[in-house]
Amino acid sequence: MEVLGALAILFAFCLSVYAFLGSIVGIVRKRPYLQKSAERAVLGVFALVTVASGILVFFLTTSDFRLAYVTAHSNRAMPVMYKFASWWGGQEGSLLLWSWLLSVYSAVVVWTNRKRHTGMMPWVIAVLQFTQIFFLILNVFVEPPFHVLAVGRGVQAMQDGQGLNPLLQYWMMAIHPPMLYLGYVGFIVPFAFAMGSLITKQPGDAWIHTTRRWSLITWGFQTTGIILGAGWAYAVLGWGGYWGWDPVENASLLPWITATAFLHSVMMQEKKGMMKVWNMVLISTTYFLCIFGTFLTRSGFVSSVHAFAESSIGTWFLGFLSIGIAATVYLILSRLDYLKSETKLESVLSRESSFLFNNLLLLASAFAVLWGTLFPRISEMITGEKITVGAPFFNKVNVPIGLFLLLLTGVGPLIAWRRSSWESLKRAFRWPAVLMMVTIAALLVAGVHHFYALMSFGLCAFVTTTIAMEFWKGARAIAFRTKTNLVLAAVELTHRNTRRYGGYLVHMGIVLMFVGFTGAAFNQDTTQDVKVGDRLTVGHYDLQILEVTDGSNPNYTWQRATVAAFRDGKALGELMPERRVYVSSQQPTSIVAIRRRLNEDLYLNFAGMSETEAGHAILQVYVNPLVSCIWLGFWVVLLGTIICLVPNKVKLAYARTEMVGVYEKKTTIAE
Amino acid sequence: MRRRPRLRNKLALVALLSGVLLTGSVPLQNPRVRSIGELLSCQCGCGASLSSCNMQNCHSAGPLREHLLQMVEAGIGDDQILATFEKEYGKIILRKPPAEGFYLLGWVMPFIGLGGGLALVWFMLQRYMAKRPTTAAAGASAGAGVEPDSPELTRYRERIEKDLSDMDSGRK
Repeated sequence: MEVLGALAILFAFCLSVYAFLGSIVGIVRKRPYLQKSAERAVLGVFALVTVASGILVFFLTTSDFRLAYVTAHSNRAMPVMYKFASWWGGQEGSLLLWSWLLSVYSAVVVWTNRKRHTGMMPWVIAVLQFTQIFFLILNVFVEPPFHVLAVGRGVQAMQDGQGLNPLLQYWMMAIHPPMLYLGYVGFIVPFAFAMGSLITKQPGDAWIHTTRRWSLITWGFQTTGIILGAGWAYAVLGWGGYWGWDPVENASLLPWITATAFLHSVMMQEKKGMMKVWNMVLISTTYFLCIFGTFLTRSGFVSSVHAFAESSIGTWFLGFLSIGIAATVYLILSRLDYLKSETKLESVLSRESSFLFNNLLLLASAFAVLWGTLFPRISEMITGEKITVGAPFFNKVNVPIGLFLLLLTGVGPLIAWRRSSWESLKRAFRWPAVLMMVTIAALLVAGVHHFYALMSFGLCAFVTTTIAMEFWKGARAIAFRTKTNLVLAAVELTHRNTRRYGGYLVHMGIVLMFVGFTGAAFNQDTTQDVKVGDRLTVGHYDLQILEVTDGSNPNYTWQRATVAAFRDGKALGELMPERRVYVSSQQPTSIVAIRRRLNEDLYLNFAGMSETEAGHAILQVYVNPLVSCIWLGFWVVLLGTIICLVPNKVKLAYARTEMVGVYEKKTTIAE
Repeated sequence: MRRRPRLRNKLALVALLSGVLLTGSVPLQNPRVRSIGELLSCQCGCGASLSSCNMQNCHSAGPLREHLLQMVEAGIGDDQILATFEKEYGKIILRKPPAEGFYLLGWVMPFIGLGGGLALVWFMLQRYMAKRPTTAAAGASAGAGVEPDSPELTRYRERIEKDLSDMDSGRK
């Protein structure tokens, strides 16, 4: 069956090359049957990569240790969920997942657009298949997943495998990589449509309208992937944090930032016909950062705890990136005449300007993260000495940029399109500014003197007020007219313009996340060697280690501390942090115990028993205020994103203002 | 009900968990060790700070934490401790590049990027603001005695002409 798997990838590669060439030759030579045939080849690639992936999953779940990949990343004792997750636990499998997801997306694009964009679609398919060919080359020739273990000419099956990395045997990690990949791979679709639009010299917004939902869904997946990664780090790594600015973490953040900028700047093109070149640059940057992120993870170009072993695969990625970037730059430059802005900017004090500044800050943040990620390598090449760029650098550079972005999150939506006056701004921002000052003053009185924390909480109050006012004004008007209560009116309001109010909810989620990030300024922690039965105090918590037990199952042995928590003498319950040693790999891992509350988390990591002091346990205790706001914020962001995807109850068609000189809104009630 | 581990697993568990001490968790009981340790990186490849490295039997974090504890207990100041670590282990031990010489570039480059971006935004704003079709040109093209077209109509005419010329040259 492994031969069938290998053949399926090989045929998929051949079919993908055919789809690529067939599309181009079909459109250039005007041969519709070739175009049709190329479309069907895309579906064939999907079927074949699905077969190959299915076979690999079958080998993993049935513990067939004739395969080198199965032996290296799975074992008999692992639960089925983690056996399945081993698909993306190693280099070969994760590259196959990339190919499979891309084949799924390509098939969906071909199917949903089979009767639309007939001029553009062959080029869209060519771009999609160009990427597909690259990843299938890696699957077939560089990192094949169907290598069998062989001794001489005979196939050798191992008794058991080495198992999945214990740190990855956690439910969040089982779904974090696919989510992230759904994001990474998904941005190929809007990029392909953008390139199709450029090649066919269609300067309009067709590609943006077609890919708006793709971009949003993909952005949602990537957000989910990043947050799952943060949640995993928090629950498994045992150091009390959720983001370490590791190069691979940064690699996932970079395309997310540029995609966020893109989602904002496309509104300028849709509403005003502006920033067409910029949007092309942004979506291309996002796509290439997705590939670059995969390159960082796969190649070992920068040292990272997440990176796979150093291999020659980096050369392939650099080659692909060079060709892709050169072709994209050429296309954009050669089509500048078609990408001219349709309108002028009437005032610096306008929504348009705020979008420009929003994009500037997002791009500056992305550049800072990219620079910090690559600087150790650049420095080593120039000075010959290795350096480290860690959290202190990234925090120092990104915190001020992040706060400015937060400010714009509140300011932007309240500035009118085209032109605002200082008087209208004063009116719009009076109450948000007052509440910001009140918040800062109250925090100062309460004893908070951390500058960034004060600014962050103040700005969070500012943005929250602006968003609340937007909902309040709209909902009150509807409630007055329809004689309903404010909650129903707010729902109605959101339904009428899902994109706008869903966007506000996304902003609210980001505000909640900022509240959570800011809480880190007040973290408390200690590491103590405590006798079983004794107590230790951290912040306002008293902790007593009641007992330490041990045990085993076929997958791992464990040692568990049972800790009673008290606050002001009141019992809060028991927490049971655990230390595991996995049998196959003999690798230990922490399972921390967290008492999660909205105001703060009590986080315990059991580091083991003391050797010098009999009956003493070593306990790391962290009190992390407001961390839960990050996870809550994520759910709000997700809700907002989903709402943005829901069609409006009332169809709004905004005529571009420059055409008639005044704002015109046509309203039709949908059936 | 508690399960009894097999002897082999139990021995492995004891050996590995007792290795915690070798990793030097105990020095972390000192708050200064923890705070200075956040500015130093563990050299085991975990990418974490000296305070945060949670690797079992870490060959790097243990001795480094012990060394740090000795210096803290000797009453040496934070800056001097960091300088000593840098001298002994190289710049790679620091979690942020030193603000000197070439490494200064690491710090200023993001702000140069931001400054360049600001200049670009300013340039774009100026360009967009200045993008007003001239009525003189519109008037000239419309001929004498005819009222000058509105800027919008001029722009549409230009676009139509461009599209027609594209069609003529077979580009579309």
